[in-house]
Amino acid sequence: MENGKGASPDKMLASYGADRSRWARAGYVVEGQGSPEAEAEALHIDKLLDLASRPTVPEGALARMLAELPAAQPSTVIAFPPRKTGRTPFFRYAALPLAASLALGIYLGAQGDLDLALPTAITGAVALGDDPADDLGGVGELDAYAEDNVT
Amino acid sequence: MTSDATTFGRMTDGGLLEAAAAQNRAAFAEIVTRHYQPVYRLVWRMTGGKADCEDITQEAFLRLWQNPAQVREAAALKGWLMRVASNAVIDRSRKPRHGDLDAEPELKDPLARPDAPLDRAEAAQMIDAKIAALPERQRLALSLVYFEGMTNIEAASAMESTVEAVESLLARARRSLKESLSPQWRELLGGLMETGR
Repeated sequence: MENGKGASPDKMLASYGADRSRWARAGYVVEGQGSPEAEAEALHIDKLLDLASRPTVPEGALARMLAELPAAQPSTVIAFPPRKTGRTPFFRYAALPLAASLALGIYLGAQGDLDLALPTAITGAVALGDDPADDLGGVGELDAYAEDNVT
Repeated sequence: MTSDATTFGRMTDGGLLEAAAAQNRAAFAEIVTRHYQPVYRLVWRMTGGKADCEDITQEAFLRLWQNPAQVREAAALKGWLMRVASNAVIDRSRKPRHGDLDAEPELKDPLARPDAPLDRAEAAQMIDAKIAALPERQRLALSLVYFEGMTNIEAASAMESTVEAVESLLARARRSLKESLSPQWRELLGGLMETGR
């Protein structure tokens, strides 16, 4: 059920009872009738609820309430001073240079200029691909090993 | 004082709250006059007519007096008071104290004496007892919407809940009442209609 929209009459009966003015107050536009059983049941519950007591405020209650006020003064609002800022933690000073280094590293890596800045000993070996194309990383030795150990 | 009362009588809840925040007792008295009855009735319904209804109602208003700035939306003052009062009822009902809301309900079921004639006052007592026996949230939704005439949106705001949840609570409350009263309801309604009492 949503406000301003149609709703099932049976659902309305179940929640708000048979009195259509309650439906309207709840903001629903309801078309059609509910089932006769649901209507009858809602009507009966409404009648029972109408029988409930309507409590009245005891005489002098408001005066007693107001007489209580002097004892309960409005609370004084204590303004909290802004929290003192302590020493700035070390990581805050380090954060900017670290972030700049990271950004530079990513940039250089992406450009491929990093190789120029590194010794050939490092970059050369990688770039030359010193492993022969048929080097299977020891897989080829497996057969020999297996044959040697056949009893 | 009379002119004060007249002036404040014309003010909105928002204006009264502002004046009350400046410790204006006459403005606060107007708030009390305006909202005491519905809050008291809600507390009465929630407690099943216990003797401490007045104390709990006072508690809600005193909280407002002590800090009116708690009410964020002046237009929802009634809902705020209803919420504070119902929370106070629930808090008290959970405190394990002798003679409080956990004690036997004061309301008696008149149908416990089937031979006695049933009049309207007794029927009312029986319905009150059945309402008082509903779960807290169902009782609260029923009290706000059915007895206090709040809209579903106002009730949802007062209950800090959604409209859908309030509607579900209402439906469950009505169903529970139907079930608890089903053995007697036709007899009850029929008897009252026949006797005209």
